[in-house]
Amino acid sequence: MSGAFGDDVRLAGEALWKVLVASLVLGAGLPAVFALGIRSLAWGAGGEAVDGGTGTAASSGNPVGKVLAVILFLVVAYGIVAGLVFVIASGQGKDISFGHIIPTITAKS
Amino acid sequence: MSAETLALVLVVATALGFDFTNGFHDTGNAMAASIATGALKPRVAVAVSAVMNLLGAFLSVSVALTVTNAVVKTFDSHATSAQDSLTMSGDKLLAIVLAGLIGGIVWNMLTWLLGLPSSSSHALLGGLIGATIVSSGWEGVNWVGDGTKLDGVVGKILLPGVASPVVAVLVACLGTFAVFRIVAGVAVKQVNRGFRWGQVGTASLVSLAHGTNDAQKTMGVITLALIATGHWNSLTSIPLWVKVVCAVAIALGTYLGGWRIIRTLGKGLVDIEPRQGVAADASTAAVILASSHLGFALSTTHVASGSIVGAGLGKPGASVRWSTARRMVGAWLLTVPAAAIVGGTMWIVGHLFGLAVGSVVEVVVLLGVAGYLYLRSRRQDVGAHNVTDAWEIDQAAPNVPADLVRGGNR
Repeated sequence: MSGAFGDDVRLAGEALWKVLVASLVLGAGLPAVFALGIRSLAWGAGGEAVDGGTGTAASSGNPVGKVLAVILFLVVAYGIVAGLVFVIASGQGKDISFGHIIPTITAKS
Repeated sequence: MSAETLALVLVVATALGFDFTNGFHDTGNAMAASIATGALKPRVAVAVSAVMNLLGAFLSVSVALTVTNAVVKTFDSHATSAQDSLTMSGDKLLAIVLAGLIGGIVWNMLTWLLGLPSSSSHALLGGLIGATIVSSGWEGVNWVGDGTKLDGVVGKILLPGVASPVVAVLVACLGTFAVFRIVAGVAVKQVNRGFRWGQVGTASLVSLAHGTNDAQKTMGVITLALIATGHWNSLTSIPLWVKVVCAVAIALGTYLGGWRIIRTLGKGLVDIEPRQGVAADASTAAVILASSHLGFALSTTHVASGSIVGAGLGKPGASVRWSTARRMVGAWLLTVPAAAIVGGTMWIVGHLFGLAVGSVVEVVVLLGVAGYLYLRSRRQDVGAHNVTDAWEIDQAAPNVPADLVRGGNR
């Protein structure tokens, strides 16, 4: 029994570090990207959106900020869509491959 | 009607009852943060969550027949025909499943009354463990699996139960910290508007994942009972009506909204604001999806609670109400043993009266206990109207009848 218990602990450890890495990238990384998007948006809007600064450069706004914000929000949207595809695929008993950037549904190994 | 048919009908009804409690017990996992920050109005939030759960339940076509196998040797998945795959007689299986379901429901109702988020899956598995111990002895329980994959009480309950909240706390804490650093200096109004949108997206994703995972468990239990009584012969599909009723039951439960639990998660642990809400919900979604991708069975509740605590720790200068967190972790530790005691007791009651009468007696007892707990909850009602009221300082559980709280007021 202690042998099987040890196996469980070993298997859990193997799964756990992968879960931790994936969760950190998606669960902490994507909100950070989202936050960058919000910041870029505020930079793009200028004026009152940024407080605490000197206001000299920000007051007129900057179109680069808006473009940057759109790109960053698209990255977040990609993450959410990938999550959605994954939920649907696993519901169908399929697995999902992220090897080609666009998530691909594959048969479960 | 034969004794077996009667027992089957009661098992199906009780399983749907469990599915319903599973729905309202877990609404807060996805929606507590969005409700607390005002990203969604309470009624809208539970409606969105209910629809996502319904969709999720219908999306899941893979069969979760082996759900009970995690703790009880009921099922040999290598068998070629459905009836051959059962490792025990149909009557015995029905008796264990019914008692186990009742153990799960009673624990879900009690923790809901106390406003404590706890794992519905652990409650169900705990009930099954108790019923198995008294019916088949200690050896009937699958404690550690066979060493080839994460299985058994240790691999499916104990280790994930310890590890998953820790992972969620870490991820949400880091995410919150990063978010606060990045948006420092941006006007609060603008930040909050943006982050409320972020919350709605991630919370919906969590609800959808919940529907695919949790409704599937009840579908598996009902299909198993149908196989045990010779009403179903396929190992690779489930009857359409089972899918429909399970999806509807979990969605209705979700729509009811477990307000007491939503309140604890959204207000009781941390006074959450939109920036923390996005980090917490993203952490919950990521940990759940990553784990199910990697075959690590965890509880949505443990992850969601861990993420909220993490979001509290990650905000500079913020605080977590540890008295609430302590009560919650206490409930997690008690889930399996408490549900097992109820499940085991119910199995004995059923056994004394025989399958038909025993099943009826068990369901009557369940209805009595559930009715009592419901009436008890009416004394201090929590609903959409007061779910986001300020959490009273120095109180671990403001909306719980005072005589039910012990040692929480520190």
